Amino acid sequence: MATQVSSTDKAPGRWARKYPELGQEPLSVSPYVDPEYYAREKAKIFKKQWLYVALERELPERGSYKVRRLDCADTSIIIIRGKDDVIRAFHNACSHRGNTVVTETGQETYGRNRAGVVTCRFHGWVYDAKGDLVSVPQEDRFYSCFDKKENGLTEVHCDTWAGFVFVNVDPGPVQPLKEFLGGYADHFGGFDFSACDYGFTYHTTLNCNWKVASDAFAEAYHVDTIHAGSFPNVFEGAIEDVQLFGPHRTCSVRLQVENLPKTPIGDLANQRSRGSLAAVGGASTLPPTLNPDREEDWAFELSALFPSVLLHVSEGIWFTHQFWPISHDKTLWEGKYYLKKPRTYSELWGFERAMVLQRNAWLEDTATMEDTYRAMLSGAKKFQHLQDEEILIRHSCKVVDQYVCS
Amino acid sequence: MLFTLCKIEDVPADEPLRVELSDGHVVAVYHWEGAFYCTDDLCSHGEASLADGYVEDGAVVCPYHMGSFCIRSGEPRAAPCSEPIAAYAVTIANGELRIERRADHD
Repeated sequence: MATQVSSTDKAPGRWARKYPELGQEPLSVSPYVDPEYYAREKAKIFKKQWLYVALERELPERGSYKVRRLDCADTSIIIIRGKDDVIRAFHNACSHRGNTVVTETGQETYGRNRAGVVTCRFHGWVYDAKGDLVSVPQEDRFYSCFDKKENGLTEVHCDTWAGFVFVNVDPGPVQPLKEFLGGYADHFGGFDFSACDYGFTYHTTLNCNWKVASDAFAEAYHVDTIHAGSFPNVFEGAIEDVQLFGPHRTCSVRLQVENLPKTPIGDLANQRSRGSLAAVGGASTLPPTLNPDREEDWAFELSALFPSVLLHVSEGIWFTHQFWPISHDKTLWEGKYYLKKPRTYSELWGFERAMVLQRNAWLEDTATMEDTYRAMLSGAKKFQHLQDEEILIRHSCKVVDQYVCS
Repeated sequence: MLFTLCKIEDVPADEPLRVELSDGHVVAVYHWEGAFYCTDDLCSHGEASLADGYVEDGAVVCPYHMGSFCIRSGEPRAAPCSEPIAAYAVTIANGELRIERRADHD
């Protein structure tokens, strides 16, 4: 429980005063480098909890499907919109001899079949979008003990919130998604994510533990140093409005308005399109929960959706970083940035400029993650020291540990 | 026996239409390169509805196994389809599409 701390409390240690249960001690490096710890994260978190795997709009028509590879749960999942318009999810594994039903072309594979079916490429077994096995070539050659009705796809829990599709691969009963999201859903649910219908995405595989990558984006303290080139003195490091929602967390990042870069090109771009975070944005698309006092220096909400999604929301913009563990020392990083489709060429130009600026910043972030991890592997440092404005990282460490030790 | 299938405008240019005839038999109707075609709806290989497939190069591609049939003749065009399906000449009268076919209960 949060203790009552005045929102005007700006003195060092304010977040530790608000959330004393998180402690102040240095935190062990071991969860980042120990393969055994990662094995427990897989068992207790990635195979047991809800994971964000798709947007509803990635499945625009009946029969549209997406296959999401989940190394962290030793599987890949078919998410398909049926002829009844319901989105369901299944393991991408054939009942015949276990082949992947949909042949995957990467971490994310998209397709559509008007019949609302998927067909295994090996022997042609066909499954409908409810998972039922509907066609087996040479069915009469199987023995009498084989029952088509009992050999559908293996379904996994699937539910949606605000246009986001989640799955939970735990074969047993699970906590309802709404309950898992808790206050986080109330905080962001009023934002119209679907209104941002344009964007870009970058992804890369990093040689580091997934928490190293996630932590790298979960504070604004690094911006002054790493992003001195892209965002000089724009975000100076303090975060505001920290709120914890069970395993999830959020805060707001503020602009140093007086330090916003004033260049003729940048000014032109920012006048024409809302694409860059390094500009005063307004609040016409924000629900009352975000920037409630409509402060001019509010730049964006920086939040973490447990276990491994960072969701950022700003005026007319939202983006996610998703950190998919591949192994204890390898992470797939996917950055997806959404904004409103440009209506004119000048808006498109403004947007392209913002995209390049954002790409530069993300490239600047990339360098440190693998370096951090190599240094961690040296064993020279057993602990990391977090300051008060790195409270989101501290919360993440504590929450992960609670699940792992549960 | 003469069967009325549907109105001309009922068949979209980009996807086949499934039509159940008055005797219960089901056919697929195609609108391809300005002309209309009709075949049985049921694939002779894997029990799929061909109306759930799509037309490519004058052949309907089955949604189950990607085999195909000529929409003019019903002859198989691509494996695993090997048995032909029935195809019907489509006539147009009063804005409606019609085929000649022996009724299932005859």
